[in-house]
This record gives sequence, structure tokens and C-alpha cells, in this order.
Amino acid sequence: MSNQENLPVRLKGVGDSLWVTIDPTLPAEQLKKELARPFERLRHLAVNARVILDPGEAPAGDGLIEELGQFLKDQYQVGQVSPPAREKPTPDVHRARSKDAGNGWHYHRSEALILSGRVRSGQKIQAKKHLIIMGDLNPGAEAIAGGDIIVLGSLLGTAIAGQPDNEDAIIMALDFRPTQVQIGGLVAAGTPASGGNSPEFARIDNNAIVVMDYIKANPFKRLAWPEVR
Amino acid sequence: MDGKIIVVTSGKGGVGKTTVTASIGAALALQGKRVAVIDMDIGLRNLDVVMGLENRIVFNVVDVIQGRCKLKQAMIKDRRIDNLFLLPASQSDDKNVIKPENMTWLCNKLRKEFDFTFLDCPAGIEQGFKNAIEAADEAVVVCMPEVSSIRDADRVIGLLYSRSITPKLIVNRIIPKMVARGDMLSHKDVVEVLSIDLLGLVEMDEAVVISSNTGTPIVMQKESKAGMAFNRIAMRLDGHPDLPIEDPLAQKSIWKKLGIKMGRKKGAA
Ligand SMILES: Nc1ncnc2c1ncn2[C@@H]1O[C@H](COP(=O)(O)OP(=O)(O)OP(=O)(O)O)[C@@H](O)[C@H]1O
Ligand SMILES: [Mg+2]
Repeated sequence: MSNQENLPVRLKGVGDSLWVTIDPTLPAEQLKKELARPFERLRHLAVNARVILDPGEAPAGDGLIEELGQFLKDQYQVGQVSPPAREKPTPDVHRARSKDAGNGWHYHRSEALILSGRVRSGQKIQAKKHLIIMGDLNPGAEAIAGGDIIVLGSLLGTAIAGQPDNEDAIIMALDFRPTQVQIGGLVAAGTPASGGNSPEFARIDNNAIVVMDYIKANPFKRLAWPEVR
Repeated sequence: MDGKIIVVTSGKGGVGKTTVTASIGAALALQGKRVAVIDMDIGLRNLDVVMGLENRIVFNVVDVIQGRCKLKQAMIKDRRIDNLFLLPASQSDDKNVIKPENMTWLCNKLRKEFDFTFLDCPAGIEQGFKNAIEAADEAVVVCMPEVSSIRDADRVIGLLYSRSITPKLIVNRIIPKMVARGDMLSHKDVVEVLSIDLLGLVEMDEAVVISSNTGTPIVMQKESKAGMAFNRIAMRLDGHPDLPIEDPLAQKSIWKKLGIKMGRKKGAA
């Protein structure tokens, strides 16, 4: 069992199916012989089992999976045989997935400053990176952040995000009625008319600050996996 | 005795600090408490004028602090109301002649003599304000339903909290008609931003201007809405914190409803 990694056929139980990794570079006949060994041992346990034939990273020859599948069905009465369900991961997704699998953020030291309470006129709050205020930012108060500013309450004062030059930063509030917002080097005066009942956020779009409904725009929906911001 | 020192402040000028100080002071004295009101607006004194006591001033708060007279000599007893005393400001000095430590000394003396001492704070947040809040136990923030007044009150509230003083709010000079039309912020808007305990709501009332000019206490005028509001505020400060706050806007509709119930409304059966 010491050199399992190098075996042409490896078998393990995954959930309610049998996951069989094969080396697709070998000829089909040799693979059938290799498959016979573990399946002989399984015998009636293999009957009607769901089998996944995984050729690994290497490309499987045309019809190889089908041929081996038919062989297993005929010889050992297995049930359904299929290749792994996932598509070939693109390199980018693959990296994100390995991060996901490794829980990369587990070891990420938080760079967010999270405060609760009301920020009053004349008070100024500064965060190196992201700033989250669980409360209201009153008119005359100022919040400044190197990254995003998120207000879980009413944003009525001035919010300055992405300092000095992070144009990807956003400013979000459950009740978005700022006096003024700045992102990177851009400035926008608050519009007293805005401020619906839904959370809104400001971001830079085409070199201007735009304000959108957060739920409808859902700015991060295209990220396939959670990642550190 | 271990009385309370309460500072009346607002940040913005002209919102009614002096009116509130004189009125609540008078109301509490009429309710039987020993009350001192101190004019901390050095150089711009006018609490004496509002109380009609300007012609009796001999010494002032700066004289007391600099040891030129005894506290008792400088306190002026009100003409009409027993138990109400004024310590006037100096008209000629600069605010900076008083240091915060002087206030601690003065307030410790006042605590022993009076149930309530009110400090009428100058506008702004400079030395005069710092002096006034130095030794205060409690604070009353006066605010008008107006954006700039709210902004300044909010600033002052932050500064009070940083001194571990939890302030209470009076919204003054409410004009119900304008609020109903949507031309004036309602007290609810004010409370939403400032989010501190409400002590009372005072309507704009011509009688306040008249009584200030004649130096008579508004709280003695039973028909003045503002005067009655000040009386209720005084009760809330003195053992009745849960006395309901009357909404100046709601009053009209309550009366209308009562009228309908009693069949007094024209056309009702
Ligand atoms: N409820 C009210 N109804 C009508 N007039 C009022 C009311 N409250 C205050 N006033 C008037 O507003 C003016 C300013 O009031 P007051 O002097 O009490 O303000 P203040 O905050 O002490 O001002 P300052 O900052 O200059 O000391 C005065 O003329 C006063 O009579
Ligand atoms: Mg005054």
C-alpha cells in the first residue's frame, strides 16, 4: 500500500459511489485487467454501485471511459458509470478553489475596523483599510478608509473611501443619504432626494461615482468563491 | 446637601439656553427647591436681564472666583420667587479669566447650598463652554428644529459624552403649523439624529419674548404654552422623569377628537 499513488487503478468509496482513478495513458486491455483485481474482491458489493471513472488531469482517449464502463457493467453488474461531473477547471477558478479548500482566509488577519455606535458631528473616524460602522454616521461626521466603508445604519455625513487611490473601493449603507462621498480621487455631493428603503452603494464607474441599489446590482455576485477583499 | 449641577448648552447661539435656564430655574424654585442659576456667558451677560435683576448686580462670578467677595455676597435673590438665586456674569472680563479648576471649586460650594444649580453656557465650544461643563453632573442640550442647530447640538453631545456626561434634550421654538406643513423639521427628526433622551418640547411662544423683555418668569403665566412646557420639564428633572411628553402637533387632533365625542363639533348629532 506504500506506493498507491503510482498504481494504474485506484479505488475509493466516495459518498454512495465508487470513485475509480485510472491512468488513461495505459491501453484499455491492461486497464481492464487492473480493474478486475479490486472488483473481483468487491464482488456483490459492486452490484448496482454507482461508479465514477476519473482519468485525472491527463486527457482520456476517445471512448475509453465508455469502453471500461461497459466492461464493468458486463462483468460486475455495476449500475451507472460516468466520468467526474465537474468540468475541467480553468486555472483562475482552480486557484480560487484550492484557496477555498484550504480555507485561505482562516489565517488572514482582519484588516477591517468594525465599530458600533453613533458617529456624531465633528467626529472623524479613520481606518487603514476597511471600515464598518454598526450604527449611524451623523451629518457633520466624517469616515475615512483605505478600503471600503460599510454603514449598517444611516449614512448622513461624509464618507471617504479608497484613500489615497483605490478606485475599486465602495461605500455602502443600509440607509444611504450622505452629505458627500469620495472614492479614490473622485468627489460626489450627496443628493438629498436619494435614500430609498433599500441599501445602496457608491462606486466608480467610467471615471465617475455612481450610486446603485445594492441588492439589485449585487456587485460581487460574479465571484465564484468568497475571497479576501 | 448634595445638589446637582446641570449645564444648559447648545453649541449654536440664540436657540434658547438663557430662556431655558431662567425658566426651569424659576419653575423648580416655585416647586420648592433651592435653585441657583449661574451666567457663564462672561462678557455677554444677559441672564440677569431676562430675570429682571440687572439693576441689583454688585458682584459677579469672576469676583467670587478671584476672591474679591464671598459667594453669598454675589448671589442675587429673585424679586418674586423665594429660593431662586442668580450669580451674574462679568460684563467686562474675558472668558479666559476663568479656569476649569476654578469651576470645580465654585461648583463644590454651590452643591452644598442648592438643590439645583443651572449653568447658562455661552454659545460655541471654546473656553467658556469648557469651563461650564467642567464640573457639571448633568447636561441639558437645547436645540431648535433646524439643520444647523442640530449639527451643533450633535457636536456638543459628542463632547459631553467624552466627559462622561449623558445629556438630555429640549427641542425649543417649535412652530406646529410649520411642522404640519412640512416646512419645519419635527422633533422626531431631531431626536432621530441626536438619539438622546428627550426632556421636553417647547413651542415658539410670543409670551416668551414679552416676559424676557419685562423680566417676568414665563412659568408663572398659566396661559403660556411655553411656560407650561417649562414647568413640566422642571417636574421631569425633579422626581417625575416619566411625566408624559406632550407632542405640540398631536394636541390639536386630540382636542378635535374630544370635541367630536362630546358632540361639540358643528354638525354633529
Ligand atoms: N420658546 C420660545 N418662543 C419664543 N421665543 C423664544 C423661545 N425661546 C427663546 N426665544 C427667544 O429667542 C431669543 C434667543 O433666546 P436666548 O437668549 O434664550 O438664547 P441663547 O441660546 O441663550 O442665546 P445666546 O447663545 O446668545 O446666549 C430670545 O429673544 C428669546 O426670547
Ligand atoms: Mg444666552
